[in-house]
Amino acid sequence: MRRSRRAFLLFAAALGIVVSLTMWQAPTESVAQRSASTAARPDLEGGWVRIDPEGSGSFGGLTSKFPRAVLTPAAAAIPVGRDPDDVDPDAKPHGPGEPYIVSQGRCGGPGGAGGIEPNSAALFIVQADDEVLLTREGPGGRHIYMDGRAHPDLTRWTPIPLGHSVGRYEEGELVVDTMGLTPGAVTAGGRRTPETRLTERYRLTPDGKKLTITYTWNDPKLYQKPHTYSLEFDRLPEGSYAFEGWCDSSDPLQRQSIVPPAQLQ
Amino acid sequence: MKSIVTALAAVLTLTVTATDPVGAQEGADRNRSAAPSARDISGFWELSIDGSNVPAAVLTPGITKAVLDEQAKKDAHAIRWCNILGLQHAMGSPRPIDIRQGARMIVIATEVNAATRYLYLDRRTHINREEFDPTTNGDSIARWEGNVLVVDTVGFDGNKGMTAIPGGGFRTADSHLVERYRLLNNGSILAVTFTWEDPKVFRTPHTYEFRYHRLPQSYEPRPPLACDPFDQERTRFLTTPPQIPR
Repeated sequence: MRRSRRAFLLFAAALGIVVSLTMWQAPTESVAQRSASTAARPDLEGGWVRIDPEGSGSFGGLTSKFPRAVLTPAAAAIPVGRDPDDVDPDAKPHGPGEPYIVSQGRCGGPGGAGGIEPNSAALFIVQADDEVLLTREGPGGRHIYMDGRAHPDLTRWTPIPLGHSVGRYEEGELVVDTMGLTPGAVTAGGRRTPETRLTERYRLTPDGKKLTITYTWNDPKLYQKPHTYSLEFDRLPEGSYAFEGWCDSSDPLQRQSIVPPAQLQ
Repeated sequence: MKSIVTALAAVLTLTVTATDPVGAQEGADRNRSAAPSARDISGFWELSIDGSNVPAAVLTPGITKAVLDEQAKKDAHAIRWCNILGLQHAMGSPRPIDIRQGARMIVIATEVNAATRYLYLDRRTHINREEFDPTTNGDSIARWEGNVLVVDTVGFDGNKGMTAIPGGGFRTADSHLVERYRLLNNGSILAVTFTWEDPKVFRTPHTYEFRYHRLPQSYEPRPPLACDPFDQERTRFLTTPPQIPR
């Protein structure tokens, strides 16, 4: 009896230690669990196509309702040159379906992967542990480094059209931070320089079928407040595949475009 | 008594482990990165000067010098006009290639003027020929056979891009390519054998092998070099015999 009472006391004492240890660790566990859930990796893999949620009916109309950038006076004074490849010799309105020259038909420009913001070509995402790779239907890719590396020293960096991007998962979203971009224009009246910081948040709907990318441009020299807007995408159906964007500068038709036909009301 | 103490020690150990999920996860991550999976070819890969074993292709009698010359003219046109050049240029790239493997597809992005390659792991059959517009990369489906990734490609365009195949011959709309990817030397080398079949071009299947070196994780690719089809000096260089400077 004495032996079993001693055993009981020992057991109770040890149980007390276990409970205390558990309670002491409870806040840590809770933080860890929160951390695990906020870092949850959304399944972005596959093809995505940009949609026109406003029904604007034209590619230029896609961004017409975006909030305009609020620039600093210095930024507003920066002239934004037109893309030298864009040419519209007569600069007059064109009727629906009327073909006209829109570019020099120049293939093989630098940069690859079609720029930061996807256009009408599909966007493809593949998520590996060290890198998220964003690709399009032509050459190149956008590399998002996921291994915790920092941005390079910009004094030793040659700006490129896609900049330098690092990413992390946060609250179930992919968050991408980019610097080192070539100077130029930003959607909805914005500007950018290599020092401008772009933050993108890739957020899936609960069913995984829609993707919203929110762009936020920060640069106290350029913006009076952060410049933010979002693009929306539909996931390509199962069995879809990437097309291959063809470009041949020797083909006269390469220079033409067609105004979209009038939309049915 | 001894058994009670042992049981309590076990409970304590389990409790400490269970209350440290982050530490446990970090341990698992460390283990994963320490032992590269034989079935994950993600990484940056570079083809070195000693990384090619390319025998001469055995061509059919119909592939005469005139046919080869005509095809070479098409390839020169593609280079001259900055067309995207296609699969052979991508895989033989003088710059590193980036391969990233997902659950449903593997993507190969290059730093040269070749369209990104997509190898579909979630599809067992090719896209119907009536639906698929032929491309310079074709339609690639992939599957693992043990530790070998087998990639089967059809749907090439014989008139677009650079069609020349290492060792001789060229790709046509009837070409069929099987690639076999496998990791060697504890994952530091990626060996790829290419086997081309095309009854109009090759008398026997034409096989060659490339071996790519894995680059450090810290490698950062640069964009493809610009290609300017309207640069007159470049055009002169490409289209006239070289001149000895005087």
